[in-house]
Amino acid sequence: MRLSLILTDSQECFTFLWPCVKMHYTQNGIVVVRRKKTVRSKYTFIEFLIFKFPLMFFVGLLYGMLGWTIVVSFTNWHGTAPNYDFAGFKWYRLMITLDRFHVDVANNLKWLSLGVIPTVILALFIAYLLELGSFRRLESYIRTLILYPVAMSFIVTGTIWSWMLDPDKGVFNTILRGVGLDFLQGRFTTNPSTATYWLILIFVWQYLGFSVIILQSSLRTAELREMTESALIDGASRLRILLQIIIPNIRSGLLILISLLLISTLKVFDIVYIVTFGGPGTATDVLAFYMLLATFQQHLVSLGAGIGVVIFLLAASIVIPYTIYAFKKWFD
Amino acid sequence: MRKIVSVLIVLIVFTAVVFAGGKRGEATGMAAAEERKLEIFHWWVGPGEREAADEWFKALHAKYPEVEVIENPVAGGGGVSHRVVLQSRLSAGLPPDTFQALGGAELKAYVDGNYLLPLDDLWTELNYRKVIPGPLANTFIFNGHPYGIPLNMHIQNIMYYNKNLFDELGLTEPKNFDELITVAAAIKKAKPDMYPLGLGTKEKWEAAFVLDAIILGEGGPEYYVKLFKGEIDVTKDKIFRTALEKLAKLKAYTYPYHANLTWDQSVSLVVAGDAAMVTMGTWAIGAFLNNKWTPGEDFGALTFPQGKERYLLFHADSFILPKNAPHPGTTMDFLRVTASPELQIPCDVVQGGLVARIDIDPKVFPDPIRQEMQAYIRDNPTKLILDQHGSIAPASFSSEYWAAIAGFMGEDRPDIDKTLAQIGTLFTTYEVKKDAAWYVWP
Repeated sequence: MRLSLILTDSQECFTFLWPCVKMHYTQNGIVVVRRKKTVRSKYTFIEFLIFKFPLMFFVGLLYGMLGWTIVVSFTNWHGTAPNYDFAGFKWYRLMITLDRFHVDVANNLKWLSLGVIPTVILALFIAYLLELGSFRRLESYIRTLILYPVAMSFIVTGTIWSWMLDPDKGVFNTILRGVGLDFLQGRFTTNPSTATYWLILIFVWQYLGFSVIILQSSLRTAELREMTESALIDGASRLRILLQIIIPNIRSGLLILISLLLISTLKVFDIVYIVTFGGPGTATDVLAFYMLLATFQQHLVSLGAGIGVVIFLLAASIVIPYTIYAFKKWFD
Repeated sequence: MRKIVSVLIVLIVFTAVVFAGGKRGEATGMAAAEERKLEIFHWWVGPGEREAADEWFKALHAKYPEVEVIENPVAGGGGVSHRVVLQSRLSAGLPPDTFQALGGAELKAYVDGNYLLPLDDLWTELNYRKVIPGPLANTFIFNGHPYGIPLNMHIQNIMYYNKNLFDELGLTEPKNFDELITVAAAIKKAKPDMYPLGLGTKEKWEAAFVLDAIILGEGGPEYYVKLFKGEIDVTKDKIFRTALEKLAKLKAYTYPYHANLTWDQSVSLVVAGDAAMVTMGTWAIGAFLNNKWTPGEDFGALTFPQGKERYLLFHADSFILPKNAPHPGTTMDFLRVTASPELQIPCDVVQGGLVARIDIDPKVFPDPIRQEMQAYIRDNPTKLILDQHGSIAPASFSSEYWAAIAGFMGEDRPDIDKTLAQIGTLFTTYEVKKDAAWYVWP
């Protein structure tokens, strides 16, 4: 199957907007890309209002904001009143000298790796177990159970986890003390060197159910089911089925899942805000949280905008190459 | 062609809507007969604070029953959540009628942004400069003009302690750092399960309070002011180094999981019997009262440190008049009420601060702690020093300074040299010397 990405121009999107990539997914995960013939669209005014204006508005707003953030990051806006004098790379130069910025980038990279890889692997095993395991009758109960975290907001789960992880009165340490395993007690989020990992654990827990659902839906195709069943009859081990049949056949599901998780970990903010507020000190600080503090607490609006641009560039430099790589590798 | 026309129509409609919005805003600002409405931004939503905020509107309605109050309360004690909303409204040119602001650097940020109107006439009318302490008035005057009406004073350097425990162990209240360490050691010995000093640094500013008290004891008031005006090179300074060393020493007696707690939870540690003492501002009195602890019986409090001379670190809440406020007349009425004892007494008694007016009898406070402090300020107004809590140094510095001190307290082995270098950089990076030059003490 060959893949060719075609940038269509004026038909579906307006010529002055970003060129759009058109793709169509078929059910079994194979991508078919159609090149559209250049036909002048005949939209009436009403049709334009219904179909094109909202798109135009949203895209305009999105890219407008993005452009504006980039502009502000090159101005000299500090203090409460806007100041649009050109300042060049002043705030970027300041940014790279700040200890806090280095802590944040390191933390964001931890999130990026430890938030995505374990989630995908665990989700894959759970999805596989639920589909092919021997407890099919329990499946619906288990699925509901692991889906619960998805239904709750980070505000709720963050609060619950911070109660559980409290080293003094929290659930975990109380239980450990109760059964006499005092030496296992942890300092969890109050230990600056490990605090971030505990936050990532909350993320993994929260996104696991969501990931399982995405993978399960790509597992549930008739072809795949037939293939695994015949492999089972032929005597293949379950692990071999997972590695050699399932994974190669749910590439599209994995691609979407990994991209979504990458983006979610890059923009992580709420867990940090709720559970540790960046602390102890700045140990669990991330770029998105610092962006808020720099802009509104420190009144360094241009610096905040600059951090926003860095987040955007990080996302672009990680997600875009990944997507291209994944497409090339899997669909060539 | 058709497409271009439709795009044009949409753009025209859009511009018209935006433009009309602007016009409408101006028109209401200049309306002859102003509506009696007051849109107000504040951050008093916590226990003790909510009740105090209600007292503002009770006092306002007692005098002007027709005013309709539109509240926009945002939690966060002058912190970031409040500013997100306020900053967007101000830079969009849609200010509320009034908002809560701390005197000093925070107020200065809005004055520098050209968002506020000076209140010279109102201050003259109320003779406000004479009825509040001089150091308090000075933190509201920029370029010779007063901005804002302070409604209270919060004293920051107070040590609260469990009185029953101190009586039981036969301890006397600590008046300086050495006595504090002695007392803490005695408590730790007698009650191994108890942490001598409670602390919560989740919001970061709390750890700096403890250090403030140590700095004040170590260097005295002039040093404190010079430090936060950026006139001291902390990397080479002996006093600041000693203060950090003492803070590190105190860490051994401090609640170790402080990174998880907010200030009110650190007060709750004392109430729950997990900690014996806590350093917090006057607002902690409200939190103690909320937990049904009686001042002078269950808990004691003293300004810390105190030697021959006794200085109080303070900051103050105020309300201001923004430029282009939709209802400036109503706002002025509210500011008049804010300056009156009818608002200050009920509000400050409930919330746990001191009253701004020194012509109010200190006996209005139910607790001996505040009666004594208010009387002390009435008789010694020059002993008030503006604190660093959002007040002397600019916010760009303070926010990072708090994080540095909170981080210092969170480390297993606090690195003094590293922290000194870090704080030294903060002073220069954020140009504290330039931005804090406005403050003159006393």
